[in-house]
Amino acid sequence: MKLTILFGGASFEHEISIVSAITLKEKLSTFDLSFVFCDQDHSFYLIEPSKMKATIFSKGEHKKMPQLTISNGAFIQKGLFSSVEHGGTVLNLIHGADGEDGTIAALLDFFSIRYIGPRINASVFSYDKRYTKYLCNSKDIKTLNYEVLFSNIQKDITIPYPIIIKPASLGSSIGVSIVKDESELDYALDTAFEFDNTVIVEPFIESVKEYNLAGFMADDKINFSIVEEPHKEEFLDFEKKYMDFSRSEQVLKADIEDELVLKLKTNFERVYRGLFEGALIRCDFFVVDGEVYLNEINPIPGSMANYLFEDFAGSLEALCASLPHAKRAKVEYEYIHSIASAKGK
Amino acid sequence: MALKSITYNQQTFKISYEIVNPQSKIDFILLHGWGSNKNLMKKSFAPYMKDYRHIYIDLPGFGSSSCDVALYTDNYAKIIDLFLIEIGASKDIVLGHSFGGKVATLLKPKVLVLVSSAGIFVPKPLSIKLKIMLFKFFKLLGLAKFRSLFVAADAKSLSEEMYQTFKNVVDEDFSEVFASYDGLALLCWGKEDSATPLSSSKKIDELIKHSSLIVYDGNHYFFMNYAKDICENIEKTFLKTLGK
Repeated sequence: MKLTILFGGASFEHEISIVSAITLKEKLSTFDLSFVFCDQDHSFYLIEPSKMKATIFSKGEHKKMPQLTISNGAFIQKGLFSSVEHGGTVLNLIHGADGEDGTIAALLDFFSIRYIGPRINASVFSYDKRYTKYLCNSKDIKTLNYEVLFSNIQKDITIPYPIIIKPASLGSSIGVSIVKDESELDYALDTAFEFDNTVIVEPFIESVKEYNLAGFMADDKINFSIVEEPHKEEFLDFEKKYMDFSRSEQVLKADIEDELVLKLKTNFERVYRGLFEGALIRCDFFVVDGEVYLNEINPIPGSMANYLFEDFAGSLEALCASLPHAKRAKVEYEYIHSIASAKGK
Repeated sequence: MALKSITYNQQTFKISYEIVNPQSKIDFILLHGWGSNKNLMKKSFAPYMKDYRHIYIDLPGFGSSSCDVALYTDNYAKIIDLFLIEIGASKDIVLGHSFGGKVATLLKPKVLVLVSSAGIFVPKPLSIKLKIMLFKFFKLLGLAKFRSLFVAADAKSLSEEMYQTFKNVVDEDFSEVFASYDGLALLCWGKEDSATPLSSSKKIDELIKHSSLIVYDGNHYFFMNYAKDICENIEKTFLKTLGK
């Protein structure tokens, strides 16, 4: 199968996206892959597959490779006398800003390029953790109690310690801290506000059970991955998660009862249906006293959560075969024509 | 990393900083040199002095800290002072490299560590004087556009404000400031330093009342190879203050 992997982006998770792309190159070796890199200045480059190494990008060597523009249905490589079209389906693998905030979704929709990834509305509800809370609220999905803080407004936190502080719109544990008492609060807030002007505060539940479940819709049916219980010390910090992104071996299925698996799947489906079609997403859940709480939605999980699927390549093919199309209005000028003819012109 | 807004002279400075060993009680504040940033300092010093709370700071206009106005070294010290109050840090040990050394001295810490510090005026070599004369002559002829050929490597690609700041701070003489510092000072220098020559360290050693000088192999950035040894000496110096 032919697939273009789009990665990079002007995001705090730019480097993670590079690691993800390199991992997928290995995992999808049976595919006919091409790689399009978006640098931090929003220029696109066509990367020779054999050059897919992390240092190529850190040294800026991608700048020597062909630059691409975007046009209706394809990326375009302009030559001296002719131009080459790079069409086909795109896998949006840009984590964080650009990729998960709806920017790339809008760009690809606008240019009618088929893609795997969250659509604009799905991006809005998963990118900002505040809006994920709103979504859960309206879909009857439990989430932890929370408070919102803004960098320019002083406000006291009423949730008792220990608490966890997260920038509203970042993944990969960037800027996240656990605060055990007031003396640690100031630095934790400064850390979160370096990345985002909006911060979410939640209670930190020690030794809470965490489960991850990925899935996607194909043929109007949700295909689930296995349920994973992620390893954690206190929580995965950025460096550990970063390593996690390059993971490619399959993990062991979490040892939990069928009843709980069913609960997780039901919650996943509530999140997914009617919003995330076209994307392979991973939902991270907490389980407290047998109740399932949604922690966060990753609409472009690291390395596409390949390690959670038994047949990852087959899964992507199935997803590819049932991508939604953006509806586009047809302009027929009927109204103008009818007025014009009524006036006899 | 973290970001704190500091207001000074009706201006807002966003100061980027990072704390290592947050549970420790004695503060070790590190200030980088001109054109550098906190990451270089962190890379060198973070593995050592585990019982101290390290505070790495990007000075305004460098690294991830903002600065929209031209400043003097004195302004830098006032901004960092306000910042330290804001985060509840005490000036137990302040280390400054190069330009950061001047800021560190103005902060009057208990223990001052100057690593290849600036602050002693070194007359410009004849070649540089000629270069400046030549450019001033070109300017008279209306050929100021050749400026980029003449500007010091340190000043290239600087914003307007930072270029003015550079001119403000580059030739300041800090002899009196060094002489008025009365805490304990540790001076660490690279033998082959050409930016802040070894002769400067000897002058500073004479000016500061309670100081000791250690000379290492290497240039202006020698500390990157000797952080372990420097840290051991800092700890020894700090322990001396406890008896008093």
